[in-house]
Order: sequence, then C-alpha cells, then structure tokens
Amino acid sequence: MLDEHQTERPVLTLKDISIEFPTPRGVVHAVKHLDLTIHKGRRVGFIGESGSGKTTTALSVMQMLAEPGRVSTGSIDLGGTDILALDEEEMRKTRLSRVAYIPQGAMNSLNPIMRIEPQLWDAILAHEPGTSRSDLKARSDEALKSVGLPTHVGQLYPHELSGGMKQRVCIALGIILTPELIIADEPTSALDVVTQRQVMQTLKDIQERIGSGLILIGHDMGLMAQSVDELAVLKDGELVEHGTVQQIIEAPKHPYTQDLISSVPLVGGESFLNPERRAEAPKRASTEPLLRFDGVSKVYGSVTALHPLSFTLQGDKPQIISIVGQSGSGKSTMGSIMLGFNPPTTGQVLFEGRDLQRLSAVQSLEFRKNVQAVFQDPYACFNPFYRVNHALKFPFKQFGLSQGDAHTQKAMEEACVAVGLDPDLVLSRYPHQLSGGQRQRLIVARALMLSPKLLIADEPVSMVDASLRATILSNIYDLKDKYGISILYITHDLATAYHVSDYVMVLFKGHVVEAGPPKAVIGDPQHPYTRLLIDSIPWPDLKRSWGHGGEDWDPSKEEAEALSAGTVYRGDVEGFDLVKE
Amino acid sequence: MSRIPREYLVNRLITLVLTVLIAATLIWIIPRLSPVDPAEIALGRMAAGAGTVENADEILATLRAQMGIDQPLVVQYFKYIKGVLVFDFGLSTAAFPTPVSALIANALPWTIGLMLISLIITFIIGNLLGALMVWEKTPRLWKVAIPAAMVFTSIPPILSGLLLMWIFAAKLQWFPLTGAYGLTVEPGWTWAFVSSVLHHGFLPALSIVVVTFGFWALGMRGLMITVQGEDYTTLAKAKGLKPRYILYKYMIRNAILPQVTAFALKIGLLIAGQVLVERIFAYNGMGKLLYDAILDQDFPVIQGVSYVIILLTALSVFIVDLIYPFIDPRVRHEVA
Repeated sequence: MLDEHQTERPVLTLKDISIEFPTPRGVVHAVKHLDLTIHKGRRVGFIGESGSGKTTTALSVMQMLAEPGRVSTGSIDLGGTDILALDEEEMRKTRLSRVAYIPQGAMNSLNPIMRIEPQLWDAILAHEPGTSRSDLKARSDEALKSVGLPTHVGQLYPHELSGGMKQRVCIALGIILTPELIIADEPTSALDVVTQRQVMQTLKDIQERIGSGLILIGHDMGLMAQSVDELAVLKDGELVEHGTVQQIIEAPKHPYTQDLISSVPLVGGESFLNPERRAEAPKRASTEPLLRFDGVSKVYGSVTALHPLSFTLQGDKPQIISIVGQSGSGKSTMGSIMLGFNPPTTGQVLFEGRDLQRLSAVQSLEFRKNVQAVFQDPYACFNPFYRVNHALKFPFKQFGLSQGDAHTQKAMEEACVAVGLDPDLVLSRYPHQLSGGQRQRLIVARALMLSPKLLIADEPVSMVDASLRATILSNIYDLKDKYGISILYITHDLATAYHVSDYVMVLFKGHVVEAGPPKAVIGDPQHPYTRLLIDSIPWPDLKRSWGHGGEDWDPSKEEAEALSAGTVYRGDVEGFDLVKE
Repeated sequence: MSRIPREYLVNRLITLVLTVLIAATLIWIIPRLSPVDPAEIALGRMAAGAGTVENADEILATLRAQMGIDQPLVVQYFKYIKGVLVFDFGLSTAAFPTPVSALIANALPWTIGLMLISLIITFIIGNLLGALMVWEKTPRLWKVAIPAAMVFTSIPPILSGLLLMWIFAAKLQWFPLTGAYGLTVEPGWTWAFVSSVLHHGFLPALSIVVVTFGFWALGMRGLMITVQGEDYTTLAKAKGLKPRYILYKYMIRNAILPQVTAFALKIGLLIAGQVLVERIFAYNGMGKLLYDAILDQDFPVIQGVSYVIILLTALSVFIVDLIYPFIDPRVRHEVA
C-alpha cells in the first residue's frame, strides 16, 4: 500500500518484533510480532492509547527498554545496522548520532543543575571527543537558532525556560548530530494548542531539512493528521492498521481506528451530546444573581493575571459558561477567585449577593455546598488511603444532607449511575485501582450528590484518554440539563467548549478578547486571538490545513496583534450579562 | 545568583541569633528544674577527700557565691546570657575552679579534627556506595557486597571500636591503643606531632566510618532511585553519554542535594555523638568532656558543651542556606 516509497532506502526496518517483560506474575507481552518499515524523510505516526506498546516499540530501537523488558523475537535494522547485534559501547555511539529521542516530559527532561549549553555540548563530546570549545559554541548556537530560540538561552537553567522553550531545546538536542531517525514521544502533550502548533512546525521543518525519518508517538488523531505521512495504529501491542495518513483517515478499516477518529470533537461537527434532552432545563426560583464579578482583577507582583472584569450570572436558568484561553491567560486564576481560594486584588465576587471574602462560618459552609469544583488532575483529587466511597460519603454527611446510612448509600449509588458507573464495581475500591476516567467521573458524582447550584470545572478532561472525554463531558452537561446546575467550564479546548456551552469568553493575558454564544465566537471568530486559537487546533481532516506553515510566520507578531485589538462582543444570552468596557 | 542579597543575609543572621538565644535559654532552664544543688555536690566531693568538713554551711555559702547560684534567678539568667555571648560559661564545678571555656577550648579541636574528618570520609564513601547500589553498571559483586557491608552499621560503635582495637592495636600493633598523640612527642606544628596525631586518630576515625556510612548509603540509595526514574536521566542515556558521566553529572549531582543539608545537621550531632568512641580510645574530645560532666553533675560544663553544639549546628545550617543556591540553581535567596 506504500508502493511509491518502496524504492527509497529504508531508515528503519522492524521485522517480527516482539517485546516481553518477564514479571513474577508471568510474562507481559507488550508488543506482538510487529512489522514496520520507515523510509528516509518520511514521518510515521504511532497512535494508540496508553499501554498500547507505541513507546515500548520506539524505545526498543534505542535499546532503552525499561528493566526487565527484552526483545524476544525479530530484528531491528537501522539503515543497514543490526541494532540487536550491537554491543553496549556501539549502541551508545549509535544513540543520538544515528537515532535521536525527543522525550515526552520536556518539563523534566533537562538536567536541572546544568545550564542549557553544557547539556548540548556534553552530547557532542560524547560522540566527537576533543571538539574545540569554539566549535561546540558555534554548533550549539546554530542548533538553538534552528529551533527558533535566541542563543542566550544557552546560558540559562532549565527552570528559567517555559515548557515550549524546553521542548525546543530537546528538539535542538535531537538534531544536533543530524541523525537518520528521530523518535518524538508525544513531544507536545504538555503544551497548549498555540505552542503545540509552533513546536510541531519547528520539528517538521527541521526534520525535512536534515532529511531524517521521524516517528511521532501520540494519541491525538488531529495532531497526527496534520503532522505525519503514514500512520501505524497500535492496540494492545499489535499493529492493527498501517497506511498513509490519507488512507487511514478517509477509510479506516479497523473498528478501533474508526473509534479513534470519531472520538475527536469538532467545531461545527455533529454534537456528541444527545440533542433530545436539550429542551427541558429546569428553572429555579431566585431573586439574587447566582454569581457576580464586580470589577474583579488579580495582580501577582508585577504581573496582572486578570484585568478588571464584571459580569452577572443569573440563577433562575442554568447556563454553561465557558472560559477559554491558553496557559497563562488567567483562566485558572479566575476559577480560584470564584471558589474563594484566592482573594481578588480589586473588586468583589458575590455569590447570591454575598461577598465571598466576608462570609461568616455558616455562610461559608453553605457556599462550599452550593459551589462544587472538578479539577484537572483526577489522580490528585482522592486521598489514596481511603476507599472511594469515603470520598463520596464524607462531604454528604459533613453538609448535613444524610438521613442515615441507607440514605447515604442510596445517594451514592444514584450519583454513580448518573455518571454511568456501576456502583458495585467502583464504590468499595481504592483510588489507585480505578482509571483516570473513572476517577474523574466519581468527582462529578461527588459534586452531584451535594446538589450544588454552581459547578466550576477547570480543565476536567484534559488528562483523560481521548475516547473518554466525550462521556465525561456529557456527564457534566447532564448536570445542567437534568439537575439544573449552572456550570463554569474552564478549558483550552475550543471544540468541546463549542459543544457544551451557552456562552463563551475568550481570555488572553487576563483580558476578555471575544465573548458571545459559541456558534458565533468559535464558529465564526472575529478577534485575531480567537482565530489564532482555532487555527492552532490540529484537525483530523486533511483538507483543512493547520495553516501558517510559511516562512513569514511569526508567533510573537500575532500575539502583539491580538493584544492591540479590543474586545469583540458577539451577542448575549439570557441569564448572563458581561459588562462591556 | 552571583551575589547574596543583603536583606536576605540580614534576615538569616537575625534568625541565627534568635535560634541560638532561645537554645541558650532552654539549656539554662533545664538543669534548674533538677533538685540537685551543685554546691552540695562540690562539698560532698571535698568531704570525701578530707574525711570531715568543718563549717559546712559557711563553705556551702561561699561555694554558692562563687558559682553565682545564690543570686535571684533573673540576675543569674542575664549574667548567664551575657557570659554566653562571649563564651564565658562560668567555672566548672567538677574541675573547680577551671573556667568551662578553657575545658572546651582544650577538647574542641580534637573532636572537630577527628569527627569532621571521619564525617567527611563517611559522607563520601557512604554516598558513593549508595549511588553504586542503584547504578545499572555497577559490577554484580559490588551490588552484593555493599548491602552485606551494611551489617557493620548495626554494630554499636563501642563494639566495632573494641574489635578494631583488638585486631589492629593489640594483635597487629599497627596503631597505638589509646590517646590522641604519643606521650613522647611535644605538641606543636612539627611533623612528628602531626603524624602522631594522624596515627592515633586512624582507628577511632575508622570505627566511626564503619558504623555510620550506612546512614548515608541508604539515604543516597533512595534518592538515586528517584533520580534514576527522572526524565533527564533517560534523556542523558538517549544522548549517548558515557555511563560514568551520567552517573556523576546527572545522577549523583542531583541526588546529593538533600544529603548536603543532612550533612550540615550532622555536624552538630557529631560533636557529642561519638561519646563512647572517645571513651574507648581515651580521646580527650568534647564527647569525653560531656560524658564526664554528666557523671559529675557539672552543670556549667554541660551547658557550655550543649551551647557549642547548638551554635555549630546553627552555623552550619546557616552556611548551607547561603551556599545552597550555588549548588542548586533552582533555589534562590528569597527574602521571606
């Protein structure tokens, strides 16, 4: 199926590769009889969920399997060299000079106590001992420039760089010896969409220039569609489908591949929510507005995280208000101000007419019951020492909602069913025995048990596997629909905001730059920053270009442009009133 | 990072002085909760020597006046604090009327010499062995031998000291049995004296190293396991760096950071810590001084030694705080 490239010299040939991990409880077969050829200059995506064997396969090429992993069958041929036959010293020399690895956790991939330059130099010196200092300096400068970093970055320590800059340093490191093959393991998973596009563009440019093969490991079908030539779909250690990205996206054969493609929420695409339920959102009798921001701003030292903002959210009709923006836009600051965790520098936050900073002990308890939160990291939200039913039971009793143990048990079971979990299976388990998706749904269930009036969901699905996102979001959507809870949905993901929200505010450097109903703001963005965000989303659609691939592309200019344009108001919805500046 | 901000320095100095003052106060209060009267002990000692003592009440009063314990507590306290600041802890009651500061001044150099050198050796050996327990390229024999050597850590120092003495001093006669230097050499900066000190110090130092390296090795092992799992260690390997370079520059260099703080805290403990080692080897250091003072209920000496221990601990923590940002660039001198 890849005829047109068969004539070119392969960079990597995997023949019948199996990888196993012998453990005391038996042998784990991480990869099973995998065959794959990667040609010069081609970009191949390895896609699959966590545990599918994609990283393990890639690491076997570098002979860097975690103990006690081993390649049990097959052969690995890297440009004519039999990798499995190399001794340790030969393998060491092969790493980086012929096959480079760009790691997933760019945040921690650089030695924290060394400046950037020495970390580039030691790599060169390990392969070309005796390289002169001036030569080292020239090559590190060139490598940094080639990934779009100023050369003074070489003098800095890793903690002084942003996530995107660290990932660029890792790319610079990967290409400094012009390898034949680059393995990039989810290189952008820790970055927001705007930075992701910039970093991927850099990686693609540089890979094309040096003409190496590229393995891109990931689970985001959209990112793959925009970045690679061929796709290898892995599931449970088996290669279930392999072909050009066009073949796979337009005509996926394997049901798992079809699932991967259809689980990506699209702006303007079909909703993943059940439209029938939409009509009957229950109304609540309420005189005071539910939540009011009155000139609220937040300043940290010399940085203004949030510029003065005023809005009123009415309580009579539940709404979902989305706050979108990239990291550093001030959206999470806004969330913690609403929860009363973080006092505003100026202005007041009023919940049902009462200032959050002046609540009495009783009012504070009432506020905590009425305002619930779902956070980003479902792993950190549970006390690992208690079974999950404790996490559900405790607040229910604490807020005096329980009418005896049987009632508590019934409430827990109902809440579990409401979020699509089987109470018998999950309630008596410990948090570590549950998946990230299950835990996040339990957090939603916990919030639901308290029948709050407002739910603040801060990136509730960004750490959950793609196929589960839709389920959790529809759980959250149900809270509004069935239980009449208003929701503030904080996210960087515009596609999901498009589907779930009634009103969207786009935040950029603490300013609201565009606000209105999602069909207008996200479906037809007017503000340059909203456009930048939307253009940055990688679409699993080959006809839709990721854009800005040209040489005149300058991210800092786009940002400047975004700041100079004023706020664009795109219309109002009933029950939410944003005060226009 | 190149300069230490003045405001930070001032803040840290104030903390240092306060710590030492509070500690000095506690040291003063604790013995005064005891019902024992040091004047009576001194009198008892005189009586034991002379058989009988006449005018016991008069002598007691004189002793109390000399020891300054006849005055109101508040006066005693402020005199004490004033004295402490200039290292004047009064007179020893056991070796009356030798000033405590003179006793400490005689003992301190010996202990600092012996203990600091053995602490440094232990720190290096312990951390290196701890690192080697984790490193994947360590020869298999070492991986077995190091944990086996930990057995020594469970031997009380008194036993290991006696064992070493028996083998190397009594049987093999490579080293002298006891003392800090030979009886025939004259103290001074001469080769004969220095070599005698080193010769005498070897066995006590070795007995300390043998029993304490396990502390560092086990701590280092835990830290190294964490560092081994860090992404930067993985990337270092993917960079094709030489294993030994990764061990030193990537793994040990990062894992050692918390150990440096532990080192500073140990300095204070070690002054008093190896009391028994000093006893066995008849080494005239702070440990022996403290031990004797406790037996004799010699409060001024106990206070003086405790004070010096606290002062040295506080000083070493202060110094580590100042240098830490230079060994870990992520830490800054922040003004609280």
